[in-house]
Formats: sequence, structure tokens, C-alpha cells
Amino acid sequence: MAITEKTPLELGPGDSVRYAERPLGVFTRPQGGRGWRDWLSTVDHKRIGILYGVSAMFFFLVGGVEALLIRLQLAAPEGSVLSADVYNQVYTMHGVTMVFLFIMPLAAAFSNYFIPLQIGARDVAFPRLNALSFWIWLSGAIFLNTSWMVGGGGADCGWFCYSTNSGVAFSPSHGVDFYAIGLQILGIASLVSSVNLIVTCLNMRAPGMTLMRMPVLTWMLLITQFLLLFALPVITVALFLLMFDRLFDAQFFNPDAGADPLLWQHLFWIFGHPEVYIIILPAFGVVSEVIPTFSRKPLFGYEFMVFSGIAIGFMGWGVWAHHMFVSGIGPISVAAFSLSTMFIAVPTGVKVLNWLATMWGGKLRFTVAMKFAVATVAMFTIGGLSGVTHSVAPADTQQTDTYYIVAHFHYVIFGGGVLGLFAGIYFWWPKIWGHFLNERLGNWSFWIMLVGFNLTFGPMHILGLQGMSRRIDTYARGYGFEFWNMAATVGSLLIAVSVVLFIWNVVKSKRDAPHLPPPGPDPWDGRTLEWSIPSPVPVHNFDTVPQVHGRDEWWHTKYAENDEGKVVRVATVEEVAQTGEATGVHLPSPSFWPLAVAVGLPLIGYGLIFNLWLALIGALLTIASLYSWALEPVDDPDAAHDHHEEDHEDDENEDDQTGGHDS
Amino acid sequence: MRTLTRRLISWTLVLLGAAVATGCASDAELDTFAPQGPIARELHSRGVLPVFWIAAVVFVGITIAMVWLIWKNRVKTYDGDDEWPAQTHGHVPLEIGWTVGFLVTMIAVAGIMLWSLPTVDATEDNTMAVTIDDHSVMWEPTIVVVGNQWWWEFRYYFSDQMDLADMRAHGDAKTLPPADIVTSGQMVIPTGEEVELIITSRDVIHSFWIPALNGKRDAVPNRFSPWKIEASDPGFYFGQCTEFCGLSHSRMRMQAVALSPADFQAWVDSTSADAVEPTDPEALAGLEVFSGICTSCHLIEGVNDDVYEGADQASGAAPNLTHFASRSTFAGGILNTYNADGSLNRTDLEAWLRDPNALKENYTVPGEQYRGMPDLDLSEQQIDDLVAYLSGLGAKPAGWIIEATQVE
Repeated sequence: MAITEKTPLELGPGDSVRYAERPLGVFTRPQGGRGWRDWLSTVDHKRIGILYGVSAMFFFLVGGVEALLIRLQLAAPEGSVLSADVYNQVYTMHGVTMVFLFIMPLAAAFSNYFIPLQIGARDVAFPRLNALSFWIWLSGAIFLNTSWMVGGGGADCGWFCYSTNSGVAFSPSHGVDFYAIGLQILGIASLVSSVNLIVTCLNMRAPGMTLMRMPVLTWMLLITQFLLLFALPVITVALFLLMFDRLFDAQFFNPDAGADPLLWQHLFWIFGHPEVYIIILPAFGVVSEVIPTFSRKPLFGYEFMVFSGIAIGFMGWGVWAHHMFVSGIGPISVAAFSLSTMFIAVPTGVKVLNWLATMWGGKLRFTVAMKFAVATVAMFTIGGLSGVTHSVAPADTQQTDTYYIVAHFHYVIFGGGVLGLFAGIYFWWPKIWGHFLNERLGNWSFWIMLVGFNLTFGPMHILGLQGMSRRIDTYARGYGFEFWNMAATVGSLLIAVSVVLFIWNVVKSKRDAPHLPPPGPDPWDGRTLEWSIPSPVPVHNFDTVPQVHGRDEWWHTKYAENDEGKVVRVATVEEVAQTGEATGVHLPSPSFWPLAVAVGLPLIGYGLIFNLWLALIGALLTIASLYSWALEPVDDPDAAHDHHEEDHEDDENEDDQTGGHDS
Repeated sequence: MRTLTRRLISWTLVLLGAAVATGCASDAELDTFAPQGPIARELHSRGVLPVFWIAAVVFVGITIAMVWLIWKNRVKTYDGDDEWPAQTHGHVPLEIGWTVGFLVTMIAVAGIMLWSLPTVDATEDNTMAVTIDDHSVMWEPTIVVVGNQWWWEFRYYFSDQMDLADMRAHGDAKTLPPADIVTSGQMVIPTGEEVELIITSRDVIHSFWIPALNGKRDAVPNRFSPWKIEASDPGFYFGQCTEFCGLSHSRMRMQAVALSPADFQAWVDSTSADAVEPTDPEALAGLEVFSGICTSCHLIEGVNDDVYEGADQASGAAPNLTHFASRSTFAGGILNTYNADGSLNRTDLEAWLRDPNALKENYTVPGEQYRGMPDLDLSEQQIDDLVAYLSGLGAKPAGWIIEATQVE
């Protein structure tokens, strides 16, 4: 309930005084608009998606610069670009940045933007919580990176931050403190967002959109949210213990006090392995949308694709100790985890063959998005197969912690995850911005990235098998590492060129857009609901919430199969696409409180590290903001509608349809 | 565009070909595909190669299918609505077929794993006769391997033999029972014997790895993990710590020196003795410097073993220098003790004593626990004296070892 003040309304003839209850001062919700301030208070899932995407791309550049520093240092033996100390910080922050500040938020951008559109909803279930997720994520990301300035350097313990090397005695700078607290903050963001999106998927689907009619992207993102929901508490516990060890002299990981350092490894990898699927499944979803569209065929074996995704999600919980084959956990555990690891390859292999079967007999049109999608399948296959080679635990004793593993997971995460998300960026760009990315530039960017990627990470297979250890800041001459390291460095520079081309593409295509025909609602002859509405998407998404009759609902609105099984057009896009002109649609009101809550968290973090008074201020800010949030009225009687001229009756009806429950 | 793409691809192929040719020609001492001991060979042929072949076959199959699909089905644009191919939504028997296909493949891979697991886990009860302090004992070849930032210690127990259970019962890696031989950086093993390793650590997690002789095993503080290596021929085998262990992880290296049983016995004889007091005046002066400065961390048996209570380092240990000159490398296996011609590598030894931090980053902040060797601020005279003293500690290794040690 809101704190209210009473204001007299106009008196009609013969009426006594009527009062309307209006929220008091600060609790008045801001009204939506187009200025920069409105980005701070927005609860629109599309804007939040864009905020996630843009920030993720920024941190892609940060992590990319860190990667280039690593490659420059290792280009030649006895490299002297970085000291050992700085190198350890840079490679740690490269991993942390790419996982937590690039791929996860980029996948979150896709989840936020497209889950509601693909299921025919007007927003996510809890719009303010959605904003809270983003702002907490951003505050955590900024907090983590300020350790370069105020923490005496970045964390220097690797992204896996094994105990006991993460203890104060072995890592005395504040880098690991920033890691422990920063990742806890980021974890809150992902956790909040996962609950929100799970509820969205389960409760807000358009009429007729049964679970088994959901687009595969939405399915994969839903599975990802479940993985986040269960994985993040585990890492949070581990980070909490680490934080207490470091800041308050607890002894959770001190072997001299009887602790077992392997505890950290178990906790970390119970989170860390599902994390791999958290990274890869969204890309699988994107590929499962792009390949059918540009093959002009439905996805081959929808049920197999969905259930193999679910199977991967489940089995991903039973393989964590394959990161620990040489840690001395004993032959029985090693054999068990080796077996479970092998069998997770089955659903993954099924996915690859189903994608190929989708292309079988199709009409493959190689737009840039399609190129990225097919490259994802090819590169992920390499990464998956190199994974099979070291699922054999005894063989892994020769390969683990060498560059062979670095090659493997970059083929999975970069080749699978990043290329897949790039496919999604090119595919949905016109939907989000209302203009295409330039295909010619995109083509260059794609080929340079593909060649650069393989030149960077391909040789790492050889380096690893030649015995080059991971996480070394330098290597001696005479081990045969020189040539391939130089090749990898050249490759990494090619990747950098391709990313620069991509950024240039973003600028150029925006500049060229006014001179080119607009893409219209359905530029690629798409299959799912987001293509039935204008590009860019109007703030209320759907004029009328669609009635869904089957999978690929939008495609079936345009096409049907005749008696001979031939596809015939039944309607043009212009006839059936929504115009986006509806008015009076009830939308959730913007709010500044999520941002205010998020600002308090890094203050708590700095406070825990430097001065507890600061933590108190941060905590007060967060708690006060949470209370203010609770007191904020659910609806501002004056705002919260995208067009105002409609009469009140209509709003009431729309209320029922949106289901935009405020949080 | 098309010709350009093609040119790019062909240039890449030419480059790759050239690279493979040069890359493989080099002398790669850590190469995991060049196993040299029986365990490593069996691991390679039973575990590594079969699964690589399976992966290669699947990879080639999928790649051919993909390239063929792309080649056959690609179109430039969609001309109109007639262009739609048959709309297949799936084919359940086919899909079950390849699910089962992958399942069978993975069962084969599982077989490879179970077949090769004993290669690294099973141990023999082999023993060899070793004479120690004029007693002959039957020694079950076992070496306790202790990781420290950033060097390895190797402990040999002949008189009071310790097995894995004894070590686990003891529990604490910082106060290990006294051993007959304590050495560092280079592990000396007899040929033709399976050598059991009991691996632990005094500070952070390290990983012990001599790729030519076997895979790796982590050294976890206060945990004692079994591992084993075996060399069939006398030789010199390189290794590198493979678990990230902090600042100078990259400069934590080690070697295994395999000697024939007779040579091994000779090494035991010379290395189990206490250090001999030098006669040369410069070396005597070096002993004095050592006793005044170095003994706060380092131990030399016959010099400070009765008063030594551990080092100032976080690990509580520093390399035992009793037979410093019998090892062909020092400073955690990164520097050569001797030049290729057999003369003392005075340059590196002096440089190390002058400023260890320049050769290997160490963490030595006053008031905090040291990790690695601190800068001792020695005078040039002290350095010369110490070099004279240290170079006389222990028997110089055989010429072939010194030669094999030299990495460019």
C-alpha cells in the first residue's frame, strides 16, 4: 500500500467533495518517456534487454583487451609485456569478465527481449524486479572492475580461484575480496532474473501457447533460468565462506585448521559445470531459430531438441568432478564422473545431428546470421569432440590444465556460445532497431572472426598436447611452443579486427538506415510471434494478444500446406502482421527504486573491504529503497499507459489481458 | 568476394601446412604424444589414442555431412513462394537411431576409460635392494613429493619406510618425519622400477607432471595422494607445475633423472651423506655467510640441522641445499647449475643471489610471510664466497645429465 495524500477533485453540480487518493511525493511513480532519464527508471523488458546487451558488449571489449594482453605476453618465449603478477590478474579478470560480464548478460539480453515476444506477452512477470536484476548486475560489474583502481589490482587467483591460493596469505591484495563480493552481487542479479523469467514462461504465455508449442529459443532460455536458479546458491555459499575467511578470519579453507581445500573445488564446480550449459544453451536456442528460418524448414525433431536440452540441463549437475580428475578424489569417484561426463555427449550429439537434419533438403540462404549459426554448429562440434577425448579420465591426466583444455573450452564457449549469440544479434537486429546490419560488412566480420578464431584456438590443441601448461605467464625456449603461440597471437588480432568491423557495422548501418527500405515486421520470413509485430517493437509489444494454434504460429498464419504437401501462401505479411497502433494498453509504471536498491550493494561491498561504516550506509540505502519500493503504488493513476486519450473503460479490459503483475 | 574468400582459404591452408611441418619438427620435451616410460606408453596407447581416433572419425563424418549439405542445398535468394522444400518436422525412428548411435559410441569410450584406468591407478609390489648407511634394505620405491611455492621437494625414506597409509596417518605436510635424502627440483629414480609417489603440498595446490613418464596429480595441502612413474631407460625428463599456484607458477619446473640401479645406488651413497666442510678459504668464507644469513630458511645437513626449525616462508620450507651442486638445475628447476661444457654456470648463480626477483618473481614484503626467495642485499664479495661454497656441495652430476638439462 502506498502512503497517500488526499486531493480534492472537481466538484460536479450538487456533489459533495470527492477525494482521490494519490501517492505522496517521492512515491509518485515516474512516467515513461524518451529521454535518457527514462532509461534509469524503465521497466520495459525490451529496454532492459537493450541495456543488458549494450553493457555486455562493453565488457566484451574490456575482456577482449585483456585477452589481447595475454596473447601479446605469450606471443614469444620469455615475454615481458606483463609482469607475472599483472599477468595473473589479467588472465583471471579475462575469464571472470567474459563469463559473468559478457556472455551471461548477453544471454540475459536475449532472454529479456525475446521471451515475452516469443510467448506473446506484453512484459515479464515482475517488471520492477527485472529492472532490479539489470541494475544489480551493472553495479556488481562496475564494483568488480573498480578493484583495478582501488583494490590494488584485479583478482589474481584464476576465475576458479582455488583455495588455498585464494587466502589472504597467498593473495594479499584486495583483488580476491572484490571477486568474492562482486560475484555475490552478480549472483543476486541472475537469481532475481531467473525467478522472474521462469514465472514469465510458466504464467504469461499467450492463450494456446502450450509448453510444447514454445519456440526452442524460449525453451533453452527457460532451462538456462532453472540452471541459474539452482547453481547460483551454491557458488554464493562458496563465495560467502571465502569472504569470511578473508575478511573476518574464518577458517573454512585453512588446511592447518583441519579444512580440506577440495571443499572449495566441489562447491565451485557444482556451480561451474552447470554454468557451462548456462552459457551454451541460449546459443543453442538461437541456432535452433536461425537455421530453420534460413533453411525454409521447420526445426527437425522439435521434441528431441527440447528434451535433449532438458536432459543436458539435468545431466549437467552430475559431472562437476570431471574438473577434478587429478585432484586426488579417488578412482571410484573418477570413474563415476568420467562415465556421467561421457553420457552427456549423447543429447549434445543429438542436437548437432538434428540441426544438420534441419538443413537436409532445405533451401539454405547464407545470410550473415545463418553463417554464424552454421559456424556455431561446426565449431561447437570440435569443442564437443575434444571434450569427449578428455572425458576419458586417465587420458585427461595428460591433458588437464594444459592448453588443450583452453582450446577445448574456447571452442565450446566462443565457438558455440559467442558465435551463436552473434548469429542472434544479426538475426534480430532489424527487429530491435528497425534497420538491418550491413550484410557486406557482416560478411567480412564473420569470415575474419572465423579464421581468427580457428587460428587463435586451433593451435592451442597442439600446444596443449605438446605439454604447455595453462595459466603460465611465460614459457622457456626449446619446448617447441614458439610457432603456435605466435600463430595464436596473430589469430587473436584477427578476432580484434573482426570486432572492430562489427562496431563499425553498427555505426554505419544506423547511419545508412534512413536511405534504405525499412525491414518491416518480418524481414526474414520468420516463424515465431516476434515477427508478427512491427520493427522496432512498439512499447506494448502486441496490439492484441495472439491466439496460438500450434508451433511456429506466425509461419502458419502466412503459409499452409496443400493436399500434395506443397507450401502455399495464405496471407501476406501486410495482411496479417500487427500494426502496433493500439492505444490505451495498460503497461507497468516505471520506477527509480530498483536502481536505488542496486546502488546500495556495491557500497556494502566497499564497506566490507575498507570501512564497515560505509557498509552501513549502503545497507541503509538498500533497505530504505526496498521499503520505498514496497510503498510505491502499484499503479500510478495518471501514467502507465502508452497512449492517454483512451477512456477508462478500455483500461480495465486491458488490465486483464496484460497480466503484467507488478512486483 | 568469392575469389577473395577462396584465396584466403588457400593461403590459410598453405600456412597451416607449413606450420605443422615446422611445429612438429621441434624438440618438444614436454610432448604428451612422445611417452617414454612404460606407464606413459600404456596410457597413451590404451587411453589417449583410441578416443582420439573415435573423435576423429565422428568429426570427419559430421564435417563431410555438413559441407555436403551446405554445398548441395545453398541458394542465393528465395525467389518466390514456390521455393519451399518439403516440410519435414522430424523422423522419430531416425532420431532414436542416432541417439542410440551416440550411446553406443559413448559406451565404447567408456570401455576405453575403464580399460585404461588401472594403468594409472594399479600399483605393483616391486622392491629393490638399496644400501643405506652400510645396511642393505629392500626398498619399495616410494618418493614423497611436496609442492611449495615455487619449487618441489623430494623425500626418500629408506631406513624407516613410509607408505601412503603412514603418511595419511601423519597428516601434516609441514612437519614430515626426517628422511634419508631430501632433495629438490630434480627427482632421481631408478630405471625399470615402478616408483610410487606420495604427493602433497605445504602451501597451495600444485600439480606434479612429468609428461614423458605419466600424467599428472595435484599436490593438495595436507592431503596425500598416490601417483606413480616409471622410466625404462636412463634419461632426463622435464616437467612443469600444472596447477595454478600463484605468482611464479610458470617458473615452477622439475625434472626426473632416471639412473640405472647401480648409478642410483651411487647417487644414494653420495647424497645421503652430510655436507663436507670445505677447505678452500673462499668456500669457508661462503660457509660463514651461509651460516649467518641463509640458515634462517635453508638447511644444510652437517651445518644447521640440529637447530633448524623451518623457514620463514609461508610453506615453512626452503630447498635443502646439502647437495646443491649434485643437481643440474636450481631455483625451482628454471636455471642450469652447469654450462653445456660442464663448467659452473656462475652467471646465473650470481644473478640469482644478487636479485632473485629479477629471474623469478617472489613475494617478499617485510612483515608478511615470504613466498619465494627474498632479495638478501648481499655484497659482491658475499656472493662470490657463497658461489664458491655452494658449488662444492655434493658430487657433480654426470656429463650426459648436464647436457640433457640444457634448454635454450
